[in-house]
Amino acid sequence: MGTIGTFDSFTTARLGIYAAQHGLRVTGNNISNINTAGYTRQRLDQVSLKTGANDMYRSNLDNHVGNGALVVGINQIRDPYLDIRYRNITSDVGYNETMLKGLEDIASILDEVGKGENYGDGLLYAQLQKIGEALRSMTANPSNGNDGLVRTAAESLAALFNQYAGKLEDVRLNTEEDLSKQVDAVNEILTNIRDLNKSIRECELSGDNALEMRDERNRQIDALAEYMNINVTYSMEDVGAGKQVEKLTISLGNANPDPAVETDSSVLIDGVYGTQISIPKTLPTLNPDFGKKGGNFPDCLYLKADGTGTNDVAEAEALDNGNYTVRLGKLLDEKNREWTDSVTTWGPAQDGQVATRAEVSYTLTTNGQWKDKDEIIVGNPDITIKIGTDISADDANNNPAALAKIVAAKLNEAAKANNAEYTVLARGADIVYRSKKAGAVGTSGMANWPTDPTFQPAAGVDGQISFGPAQKVDGQEQVEPTPIPSVTVGDETTTVTFTITDGQWYQITTVTKRSHEVTLDDNDLFGKLQATRELLTEEGEFSSQDDVTLDENATTKRGIPFYQKSLDLLARQFAKQYNTLNQGYMVNQSGNYIDPNGKELTLAGTDGKDAPVSKTNGLTQSQKENLINNGYVLKDAAGNDVLDDKGNQVVDLDRWLAENNAMKPEGSGVLFSNRNDNDDPTNITAANISVSHSWSTGDVHIVPTHTQLFGEDGKPIPNTTQSENIGHMLTMINQSLVYDPKDIDPDAVGNKLFTGSFNDMLSKTCTTLGSDRRIIGLDLNNSSIRQVELDSSREGVSGVDLNDEAMNMMQFQKAYSAACRLMTAIDEALDRLINNTGIAGR
Amino acid sequence: MIRATTGGVLKGYRRNLMSSFIARNKAQDTVLTRRNFNSYAEDPASAAKAFRLRKSRMATQSQYAICNDTYKKFQTAFTCLDTIDKLIDTKNGEPMSTLKSTTLEMLNDPKGDARTQLNKVLDQLSETIVQNLNQKYGDTFIFAGADGHNVPFEVKDNKLYYRGVSVDAARPNVLMDSAANPPAMVTDANGNYVLASNAEKSLNQTEYDDAIANGEAPADFITYHVTDNAGVTTARYIRAADAETMTTQEYDTAVTEAEKLEYLVNEKQFVDIGLGFQENEHGTLIESSGFNAALNGLTFLGYGQDADGDPRNVYSLVQKMREVANRVEDGDDWPKDVYDEFSGLVSKLEQASSDYKTEFTNMDAGTTKLKNNVALLEENFYNLQEQYSDIEDVDMADAITSFVWAQYCYNAALKVGNSVLSESLMDYLN
Repeated sequence: MGTIGTFDSFTTARLGIYAAQHGLRVTGNNISNINTAGYTRQRLDQVSLKTGANDMYRSNLDNHVGNGALVVGINQIRDPYLDIRYRNITSDVGYNETMLKGLEDIASILDEVGKGENYGDGLLYAQLQKIGEALRSMTANPSNGNDGLVRTAAESLAALFNQYAGKLEDVRLNTEEDLSKQVDAVNEILTNIRDLNKSIRECELSGDNALEMRDERNRQIDALAEYMNINVTYSMEDVGAGKQVEKLTISLGNANPDPAVETDSSVLIDGVYGTQISIPKTLPTLNPDFGKKGGNFPDCLYLKADGTGTNDVAEAEALDNGNYTVRLGKLLDEKNREWTDSVTTWGPAQDGQVATRAEVSYTLTTNGQWKDKDEIIVGNPDITIKIGTDISADDANNNPAALAKIVAAKLNEAAKANNAEYTVLARGADIVYRSKKAGAVGTSGMANWPTDPTFQPAAGVDGQISFGPAQKVDGQEQVEPTPIPSVTVGDETTTVTFTITDGQWYQITTVTKRSHEVTLDDNDLFGKLQATRELLTEEGEFSSQDDVTLDENATTKRGIPFYQKSLDLLARQFAKQYNTLNQGYMVNQSGNYIDPNGKELTLAGTDGKDAPVSKTNGLTQSQKENLINNGYVLKDAAGNDVLDDKGNQVVDLDRWLAENNAMKPEGSGVLFSNRNDNDDPTNITAANISVSHSWSTGDVHIVPTHTQLFGEDGKPIPNTTQSENIGHMLTMINQSLVYDPKDIDPDAVGNKLFTGSFNDMLSKTCTTLGSDRRIIGLDLNNSSIRQVELDSSREGVSGVDLNDEAMNMMQFQKAYSAACRLMTAIDEALDRLINNTGIAGR
Repeated sequence: MIRATTGGVLKGYRRNLMSSFIARNKAQDTVLTRRNFNSYAEDPASAAKAFRLRKSRMATQSQYAICNDTYKKFQTAFTCLDTIDKLIDTKNGEPMSTLKSTTLEMLNDPKGDARTQLNKVLDQLSETIVQNLNQKYGDTFIFAGADGHNVPFEVKDNKLYYRGVSVDAARPNVLMDSAANPPAMVTDANGNYVLASNAEKSLNQTEYDDAIANGEAPADFITYHVTDNAGVTTARYIRAADAETMTTQEYDTAVTEAEKLEYLVNEKQFVDIGLGFQENEHGTLIESSGFNAALNGLTFLGYGQDADGDPRNVYSLVQKMREVANRVEDGDDWPKDVYDEFSGLVSKLEQASSDYKTEFTNMDAGTTKLKNNVALLEENFYNLQEQYSDIEDVDMADAITSFVWAQYCYNAALKVGNSVLSESLMDYLN
């Protein structure tokens, strides 16, 4: 039978009350926070308390009973895997939502379904046809009045182009502003997480789980996942004294499909260090060899304009950041201290030298009769060792090694004072004279080489020491390694120091890593930020080779620039075709080009025979060859030869005609220009397309015909209502044309965006937009459903449920009551024992 | 799901309620807009197709206007030509009301009592005909070919000009030497061309030999060759002194004028009345895809000269008749040769009248084509409207049913909302 503490049971009851009360508090906290965003339900961790289990003298008859329950902590209930899935899908939702919104903004301008007259003729779409209508009327009667009608229709068309382009530019600017705000939001989140990490770490150090801060941190991480794809990891960090705290690391989530790219796993948060993102106007030129041993300037992050390396952003060659590339700053803590990570390793010196060094050693012996205050006087050089002061008499008599050590030390001091080229050291009971110079053999090269040390006993001293015969040894000895300068490669600095222990040199290698600014690759991000960047940058078929190199899918991604350039291409094509048709040269009734006097122009072929230059039948093969041989080759805007379908050069007949004074029709000239106060037809875009100044003033009008009838005598037959050229213009409305992205962007890799009429091109652009919207919309719907599902699953694990809490409340309340009842029962029992026991017979 | 928590249930409910609300709003939009889709994104293929149909409808509308306008122009032309027809030859029984009846009266007036009077009538009638061909439709001259802004016909010195070119212009008939390869025009010693009419005066080899034997010099003759149907080539000789010739300049001018006339007669001005209006790969309009709206007065009145050198043009014929008639003094009987010539011209006028009727009929066929095309375009217009309406417009019964169902679902979702937070175990705790 064991002993029972009188008041132990009160403790049991007290702990029960305490645990139940805690349970009620946790339940209350859960219920209170049922509507708190990001709150994770908490749970009481309690264990059974048992004391004295290993009592040495415990009676075998003693049965230990537990001492109640202990509350050891309060925990959260989370499923990390659900968090990962939820955050991944949140990135999807963020991407699709932002992309869809951007495309909807574009569609609000370009998508003309349901707009315009007749409940859906469209605006720009219909206006292109209205030009056709006006031209159709003009074919019947090419009068000034009808020219005015066409011009009015053209002005409306140009105004619509301008309006659409202006609105698209507004969308682009607003999206740019959005991106800036998103960057601010991300930076705020990153700062919050970093600061929360610090606070949580401090709480953990003081034993608090900081659950509420973790909730807030999770909320912030969820918010961050909306902007970019992230990878969240938790690890334990040793903070010394055997204490470990949790460390949160957030890095980019390897979103880049290119496995060679490493920047997509850049660290955003590392414990109490965090980065900030930015989208600078210019980017420093990155050094491709940074961090690569053997590369050019491997320790330099950037390259200067002259091709040399630098780590100073200000010195680096600045490139325009038209791609809205995101840069990550250095990892800094709240006091802007840089993140570093040092790893130190020890090992035998690698850079040491092994060389022969002459040694002369003497074995020291003593007669064992030394006593305190005796002095040992050794000559050559002279040194004095005081027994009792420098060495105890016992050591002097019985410990030759200790004696040799002090003697050697004194001799070495004397050698130093004499600038001797040797050192003296003790090796066991030996006194060793060692050459300082490596490679020394025997005593050569050892200046001031001592003769054999001598011992002169002082008067009245019984103690004796003697030096054995000199032993000359050419020993193998490590010399001090040559110092190695620190080496920095990339963001790693390797520092090597040496230390000697017991004659062995050791190398201490310290590798210190620092964080550095990172310029992210084009596809490192996913989520809102990436969607906004893509809206701002993606050009689809207008992408350049550089864009494709950066992102192999660039030609199939379409953002605002694609739609802007498509509209520009349509406007430019329209202006180009009509400007061309309204210029040209006059021909006679036979279809041959004529000069201003009505005489036919002639052109010799390679056979040397002159022949008329026929517009109707085209040039003869001989004439073509002659012109090509004489350099009349059509060039594109970039100065390259234009080739036909068979790869042959195309004759630049217009140049020849201009140089040979071909007759131009009256009123001919450009109809569209890049400003309404000039006649410049170059670089026309949707934003600037205008009716030319000359057309608006009447100096230029639509040329009805390019045919002059029988004008050789200076009196051509008038053909005032002939309208074959207007017929060309009319057919042009529905003519199938090739839309070449290079017409807008000479660097574009695509060469055929679309083939069709003006209306078809507009419709194609809208269809592309509609399809993209539809696909993104479906993706968004899908991802948002999955997000809600995952959120519900998370709620299933981490959320507060009233039924659960009601059960807990009842459970803890009952436990509390029971514990109180226990206390009452024990009280009554003790009352019986104390007050009502042993009173029999009173 | 292992646990269904209060928060989780609420979140799910919120999302589903939102989905239900969105579906309801979409159904409502469909009813209100009466459209199956309101953006390309909703149905890209249908949207593109609907726009194409609308484009066709817009073009058809415009083509209809042009076709209708051209039709009216042709109707006006028909009226003018009908009037002219009556002036040339209509069996209305009224004397001196037509060219034909007037000329017949002149032929039947051997004493020439009324010849002067009839001559004046001819002149007036021919002028009236010309005036009718200078009629305008709107601001363009109907019969001016492709020069609708200028008066097409003009009379100068009793000669009729069309757009500045004599309507009687013709290539001069010049003798050709078949022995040359290729056959060359025969010239006299001065290099002037010898007219074909000189052939009647030519001598064969025997006659020529006799003439030489009679003392005429070979240099007095122009020699050329003719080849008969059997392919036998023989020499012919014309006395140079008797030969009618024309200078090369005169010849070239005449040829140019004739070419002008030929060009103008064939001149076309195409308009788009919905026949396709397409160009070939050389940028030339495929004629069958457009409608030639140019009406050329020459086509109706005739132009050029016949083999006898007489004009084919009605006006010119009349003028020549007048000239022939004027050779005989009033009151004198027709001399036989003059009568024969006049009579021949009357026959040619009849032929011109016949040609006129043929062209008039042709034009009427064109008018009918326009009329039919107007009707066809009108039908096309409504067809196209119907086609895109089929794509765009909702079936209202279907749309309303969908809306009612969406509303019902939404109401049900709201109803469920009342019970989502209805009771929990908390409500049963005492």
